[in-house]
Amino acid sequence: MSVDLRSALFYSKRDIFKNKKIFIFITLSIIFATANIIAVNALMDGMIYDFVDNTVESSIGHLNIYPDDNERFIDGLGLKEQRLDGLNEVEAYSSRLSASGVLSYKELSAPIVILALDPEKETKVTELLQKLDRGAVINSNDKNTILVSYRLAEDLKLDVGDEADLAFENGDVKIYSVKGIVRTGDKDFDSSTVIMPMNEANRQLAIDNSASVILVRLSDKELAGTYKPVLMRELEVNNVRTWEEETGFLLSFADAWKGFTAVISSVGLIAAAISVGIVIYINVLHKKRQIGIMKAIGAKDSFIFAVFIIEAALFGVIGVSIGNVVGYLVTRYMEAHPFYDAIMQTWISARFGYYLFYNATIVSFTVTILAGVYPAIKASRVDIIKAIWGR
Amino acid sequence: MEIIRTSDLKKNYTLGKVDVQALNGVDSSIEQGEFIAIMGPSGCGKSTFLNLIGMLDTPTSGDIYIDGRDVTKMNGSARAEYRLKHIGFIFQFFNLFNELTAIENVMFPMMLNKQPDHKERAKELLNIVGLGDRLHHLPSELSGGQQQRVTIARSLANSPKILLADEPTGNLDTRSSVEIIELFRKLNLEQGQTIVMVTHSPEIGGKADRIIHFRDGKVMEG
Repeated sequence: MSVDLRSALFYSKRDIFKNKKIFIFITLSIIFATANIIAVNALMDGMIYDFVDNTVESSIGHLNIYPDDNERFIDGLGLKEQRLDGLNEVEAYSSRLSASGVLSYKELSAPIVILALDPEKETKVTELLQKLDRGAVINSNDKNTILVSYRLAEDLKLDVGDEADLAFENGDVKIYSVKGIVRTGDKDFDSSTVIMPMNEANRQLAIDNSASVILVRLSDKELAGTYKPVLMRELEVNNVRTWEEETGFLLSFADAWKGFTAVISSVGLIAAAISVGIVIYINVLHKKRQIGIMKAIGAKDSFIFAVFIIEAALFGVIGVSIGNVVGYLVTRYMEAHPFYDAIMQTWISARFGYYLFYNATIVSFTVTILAGVYPAIKASRVDIIKAIWGR
Repeated sequence: MEIIRTSDLKKNYTLGKVDVQALNGVDSSIEQGEFIAIMGPSGCGKSTFLNLIGMLDTPTSGDIYIDGRDVTKMNGSARAEYRLKHIGFIFQFFNLFNELTAIENVMFPMMLNKQPDHKERAKELLNIVGLGDRLHHLPSELSGGQQQRVTIARSLANSPKILLADEPTGNLDTRSSVEIIELFRKLNLEQGQTIVMVTHSPEIGGKADRIIHFRDGKVMEG
């Protein structure tokens, strides 16, 4: 079966541009559907990657050293820190100690997680201490001040300057003044964490030269995978996780979100496809006599089919091309004008990637062509006699 | 030389629950270069006969030979190709492609036939039908007579062996009708074009070389 595509294209071009209002309507539908795919996915990518970056920046290192299985602490901290100082790619590190306790204020009390750290070192590795909602940051030598997480402060009706009783897991109780309120956006962290200087925690818990985790910042976070074995060898530790392993759950969460995004995008796309299909179908109905004449003068069924598929393709080419440009501009605008997420206390912007062009083009174009298939089949099956004589 | 021959041609339709015998055994013969008028009362089978010899429709039974070839045996695709190359159609309601200009309407069958000089040939044909100054007009910008002349030019595009016209003047005023019939006569005389024309009008039919009368789905003698 050979179809004269040149003649089919010739007729299709004339036909789609004949009614400018319909042409604009269909093209706009495809433009918005295509732009929607690009913009929504770019925004989703931006949210996901910003969220991952935010998590990496605020609560974990590029590489995180944990105690061996069945051990609570990493022992020999001083020696390990010494070795870390000697590694080329290690930019900074922060040792943290975790313990449990109970914080009480007036008649209210709540179980807490004590996070002990060296503020100077922590600041070089994460942005945790920059997530201050109000108040001031603790110092390494502070003995009577703590930072309280946002939800915990709300639950205990605590504010900056208030004094609360902190009961340690060894039974000791000490009064601390709240120096600041921290808000990270991480639900678990914000609901139960008290941050205190490492020196003070060591004193109160009678723990020395140990840490629950050591967060390591590398010169480039992308080195994490290759540098992990080096760190394990040099520090003689077994339990090291990269930032990617730590955020794996976020990435799988992101995949689920992407599925949701695909559903949102497909709604717009289906609406556009239905518009294209309906308009081409109505065009076929209105053109029955002309299709009959075309057949009478010698056009084959395959030619008629090609005419209407090419019409759908032309709508697709024009709509998808402009849609890509619109989607690109919208994405670049959202990149330049990020949204502020008050809960996460972070800026969320779109993130453009060329793969968005490929995805939007392939999906929109394919759906547009498919929308033209049924009308094209109907057109190719028009009965000549009935069409010409309007029977 | 015989160009069209039908033998015992029958065509039955079903309209709703009623069987209609549109043609009831038509035997006919048309010579190459003849200008034939087919006449008869409404519903006598004239247009059905034209559709069958034009290969737009297939007979219930009987044979149709065009240029010695039994065309009833052809499949749809072969019939379409034969129509494109060898048969020109003119209909009562002009039936031009509204989105194409006069010259594009005439070019279109030649493009389908992959004729390389289609533009020059279309101009030439429009000149022949007296529309050399209306090449780029859309059908909506032409009068009924002018549209029918564009249809005639289009029907001649691929130099068909046979020109079939179904009530070509049925929608035209007297002056335009005379012009169209004079054009047919000119094509017939100057180019030896075989023309088979269905008409109600005795005056128009009288301009043909020969009249075939139909009644009740049959050819009447004389």
